[in-house]
Amino acid sequence: MIARVEIHPGRYHDSVRLMQASKALQNVEGITDALVAMATELNLSLLADMGFDMDAVADAGPNDLVLALRAEDEGAIATAHQVLDDALTHKTAPSGGLDAPDPKTAGSAAAVADANVVLLSVPGEHAFVEAMEALEAGRHVMIFSDNVPIEQEISLKTYGGDHDLLVMGPDCGTTIINGIGLGFANAVEPGSVSMVGASGTGIQQMCALLDDAGVGVRHALGTGSRDLSEDVGAASTLQALEALEEDPATDLIVVISKPPADPVAEKVRQAAAACSKPVVVTFMGETTLEEGAGEVLAVLGKPPAEYGTWPAANDDHRPGFVRGLFSGGTLSSEAQFVAAPILGEIGSHEGDEGHTFIDYGDDEYTQGRAHPMIDQTVRLERLAAATRDDSVGVILMDVVLGYGANADPAAELAPLIEEAVTAGAAVVVSLCGTRGDPQGRDAQAAALNTAGASVFLSNAAAAREAARLATARTSA
Amino acid sequence: MSDLSHLLDGEPIVATAGTDMLAESIEQQGAQVTRSDWRPPEAGTEAALAALAADGRNKEANTTAVERLLAVRPQLVDVSVARDVFPDMTPRTFFHAGPPLTWDRASGPMRGAIIGAMIYEGLADSPKDAEAKAARGEIELSPCHHHGAVGPMAGVTSPSMPVAVVADGAGDGVAYSTLNEGLGKVLRYGAFAQEAIDRLHWMDAVLGPVMSAVLESRGPIDLQSLIAQALQMGDDGHNRNRAVTSLFLRDLGGALVDGADAPVDQRAEVFRFIDGNDHFMLNLVMAAGKLGSDAASGVPASSLVTVMARNGTDFGIRLSGTGEEWFVAPAPPVDGLYLGSFTEEDASPDIGDSTITETVGLGGFAMAAAPAIVGFVGGTAAGAVRRTLAMYEITLAEHPMYQIPMLEFRGTPVGIDAARVVRTGVLPQINTGVAGKVPGTGMVGAGLVEAPMECFAQAMRALSATLD
Amino acid sequence: MTARAVQARCTSLLVRVPAVASLALRPLFVSETATASVLGASSHAVWLHVGGDVVVVSTRDATRLPNGVEIAATSEAGLLDVVSHGASVVVGPGSLELGSLAVDLVRWWDPRPALPRTTSDDLGVAIGGLPHSVPGINSGALRSALVAASPDDLVDASMTLLGRGPGLTPEGDDVLAGALAAMRTLGTALGSRAALTMLDDAEGALADAAGSRTTTFSAALIRCATRGEVAAPAGGLLRALAGRGDVDSNHCDLQRVGHTSGPALAAGIVLGAQSLIEAETTPNGGVQ
Repeated sequence: MIARVEIHPGRYHDSVRLMQASKALQNVEGITDALVAMATELNLSLLADMGFDMDAVADAGPNDLVLALRAEDEGAIATAHQVLDDALTHKTAPSGGLDAPDPKTAGSAAAVADANVVLLSVPGEHAFVEAMEALEAGRHVMIFSDNVPIEQEISLKTYGGDHDLLVMGPDCGTTIINGIGLGFANAVEPGSVSMVGASGTGIQQMCALLDDAGVGVRHALGTGSRDLSEDVGAASTLQALEALEEDPATDLIVVISKPPADPVAEKVRQAAAACSKPVVVTFMGETTLEEGAGEVLAVLGKPPAEYGTWPAANDDHRPGFVRGLFSGGTLSSEAQFVAAPILGEIGSHEGDEGHTFIDYGDDEYTQGRAHPMIDQTVRLERLAAATRDDSVGVILMDVVLGYGANADPAAELAPLIEEAVTAGAAVVVSLCGTRGDPQGRDAQAAALNTAGASVFLSNAAAAREAARLATARTSA
Repeated sequence: MSDLSHLLDGEPIVATAGTDMLAESIEQQGAQVTRSDWRPPEAGTEAALAALAADGRNKEANTTAVERLLAVRPQLVDVSVARDVFPDMTPRTFFHAGPPLTWDRASGPMRGAIIGAMIYEGLADSPKDAEAKAARGEIELSPCHHHGAVGPMAGVTSPSMPVAVVADGAGDGVAYSTLNEGLGKVLRYGAFAQEAIDRLHWMDAVLGPVMSAVLESRGPIDLQSLIAQALQMGDDGHNRNRAVTSLFLRDLGGALVDGADAPVDQRAEVFRFIDGNDHFMLNLVMAAGKLGSDAASGVPASSLVTVMARNGTDFGIRLSGTGEEWFVAPAPPVDGLYLGSFTEEDASPDIGDSTITETVGLGGFAMAAAPAIVGFVGGTAAGAVRRTLAMYEITLAEHPMYQIPMLEFRGTPVGIDAARVVRTGVLPQINTGVAGKVPGTGMVGAGLVEAPMECFAQAMRALSATLD
Repeated sequence: MTARAVQARCTSLLVRVPAVASLALRPLFVSETATASVLGASSHAVWLHVGGDVVVVSTRDATRLPNGVEIAATSEAGLLDVVSHGASVVVGPGSLELGSLAVDLVRWWDPRPALPRTTSDDLGVAIGGLPHSVPGINSGALRSALVAASPDDLVDASMTLLGRGPGLTPEGDDVLAGALAAMRTLGTALGSRAALTMLDDAEGALADAAGSRTTTFSAALIRCATRGEVAAPAGGLLRALAGRGDVDSNHCDLQRVGHTSGPALAAGIVLGAQSLIEAETTPNGGVQ
């Protein structure tokens, strides 16, 4: 067994690309362990945990690339180098003529095409400088990054508010403008319903429900997860509401968030009431997205919807608790809100006894990994573990489709779902997707269903089903 | 109409920094996106960058500073004598290139130049005598930059030397520089042989007074116009100066031949001297740069780099927003071509105030106008173009007068922003000659060097400390 | 060889490009594969005849048309250069293939501009002194017809304009199209029922007239205009006149389209807007 640690100074790549590269290296024949990452403190401690010799990285800093391999022979190492080079070759920005170097900042990239939106997913501590530069150049900003200090968020939103520029984020995962999705977003039909949301997945679920009911979406403006905190005071939410009120292409506005602090909730309700257009306010935790969608349909004069369902072939399953394996907090929280009145207490941590719904998008589970909506590895492991765990009777999972998400989640899940069902567990999938999504919503549903899962387009409905299944069997 | 309404009425045009996945998703939807090749800023500058961004004055301050840099109209108005133009010059004061320096830290060429100047001024009988006196601190050393002056290579300026006086046709500023001696055994490369001393005497006795008479006769010479023309003839304003010197000689020609009040044989000597020295104009181009640099200095919160200079030991920079403070780091090695049998072993660290040219959009920042420079510094012509293109990332403006024909007459990148340097890791590109470390060797080679990141990191931290 | 087999054989040679298409074209792309013919091609656009309709596949730097499919590339990329007159074109659900170029319809846009509600007074102010005619085109009869909101008069007036002037879209057609689009969209924004009824009643006859009197391409645009479906720059001007956006800059942008098309469309739009105002203020001008 050969262990090799190499430093490549001055080569920088973003974390998602590096995680994908690490994954590719681990799949090389003859490689038993691999890590390629920027030499940040966190990654160096991961390296130490993996048992590599730390002498080679003594002088490495966050701008240096470190490659660590454990291989059976030199041949495997050579292959690994090749795989790494392939994985890290990236598309260069259009240079427009003479071999011009790529723009090095969001600002200079924005100047190339005179962009009107700058989308940032750099590490949180560096987002402020890029965002401020964008705002000063008269461009709107969407900050996908999290871990941005709240004072900086306030500073950005104050500037944006003064200059009629929208700051979407930090921690804004989804925005749709005229049908074009930024971040994780589903393909929507053109319509006249617009949204403002502090939760990306919340926006996605609402889009999916409305899509299934034949209602199109015009805009969905993400505000970032902290916008409705007392400190930020709903700055972007109120700004977005005003803009949608004036937008002739918007006939109805939906506001989506987890319940904000009272004074902020009040501000939002007042602004909503002052709108000349109908505003449906959905604070998840007081109500469900399904109910919110229902309100929208009612305002539009449409009949209530029956959201797509693919029932499981077999209703028989072993007794036991519900194990919820979620890729994000929003759907997990909503599922808990729906299921708790039926199931009783639901834990949120691994190792909790009884029913547990875990958010695998939480920092705890995403170290060194891409978001679970892209990289399902951890959830797949947990699915297998739940199958083996006799105390589990029902497994509940969300699968989120759309641009940015895994290209074929059903393909990875199907074999493990089959095993789970064969072992006697019931599997319920909350499939969040629209008919136009690149993965093919119905094909994904069918594949999951064929593997033995019952599939629901409504997250609330999936949660209700999981609760029903668990309660039905406890009396057996 | 408001900006936010505008956004909602059309399709977003996006620019990204960070994970490629986000840009790919936008492309998959048939929408417009431009990516950046983003990397984290230089370690240790994050807090300074955030403070600058939060302060809010930086963008406008930089605009003001670069406008002032570009507004000067340098004109050669006179050639005078150092002791007459510098109020702080004493019989024992020598100015030198680069940031502040003491004898004990000085490199070979710098020491050689100081020794030579002492002999020239009659302050020492011999090189040994000069060395001993200098080591004892009998000579006061001060950077040219502290006195509105610049000097190439060692840049040693002493009381008797003739100095060019470059005045701003659009303002009150004045900048100064010695006159260029030529190549070979010259003071600025650290030579102190009799040949070098004799030439210095000729320069103060003949060259200076004749040039003064010429300027008296024909009036001031517009330097900016000569430089702009020369760039379109393949000069870069730092290491290729044949075109600009030729144009200059043409400008002097009339009055040299007939008009200047000086003996005809002296006028002939001066003509032959300038004719034989391709780099004669370099000193004047540098003084023109100094004029712009000084004009741009002192704008609060501005991260514009006003000075880059080397003294043979240290590389130093100054920012507009931190005024006269120097930020120094060891002068880096030059990546270059060596003449004859010289090697890196023979090289002295980077030296000279000539990097003032890169500060004002010339030299390494105009290589695309002078691809033939690669015959001097190495590399390929295509590489020369790429290096200039890379500089647009770290500069604030495109020069209104210095244009690059092969980039469709795009203005050269001008106004280095220290904030952008630490954010992007792109360092200012410099073309430079290399002096031999043994004093008096002369030029041993030429090549490319990058300004050290450490200077910019220090400068940004200091700038951040000035914000309140 | 069936269209499918051709597709299968060509898959490995295909260059794929995503595109955004006008919602008005949607019905053409849901059914099974059909063949279409190429009416004309340039580096900016390819005009197709698809089941009685005209579809224009254009690059991003060309004008976005109400019957258009806009590919995510500029003409510089040369993607449309592979398509020549007579090239094989296959139209299918969600995509179309032009020779070796496969265009995936990933997104739809609405060619009917969304206008805020407005009033005659505000509309009058917005129009200001913008030109309402172009030299050589007599639009008097058209104007009278619109003020009177008479479908028959409208059809008669259109006969005198259709096909008048050179070009792919004759100037007379553009003035007519601009006026029709203005009646539909600004008429809705003003709440002018008479205008909308007139258009509904005249729609069929107008389509017939256009079909026989002008180019296929222009006739398609007339049909779109009647429904309020317009090119993007025209949509911008209509929206600005209704109070959202800057009138002058949108007017300038439209003027720059084509050689004569832009100014003629703009003039027609203004003429239509003025007719709506006049109808509202004239005592017996139309039934409200």
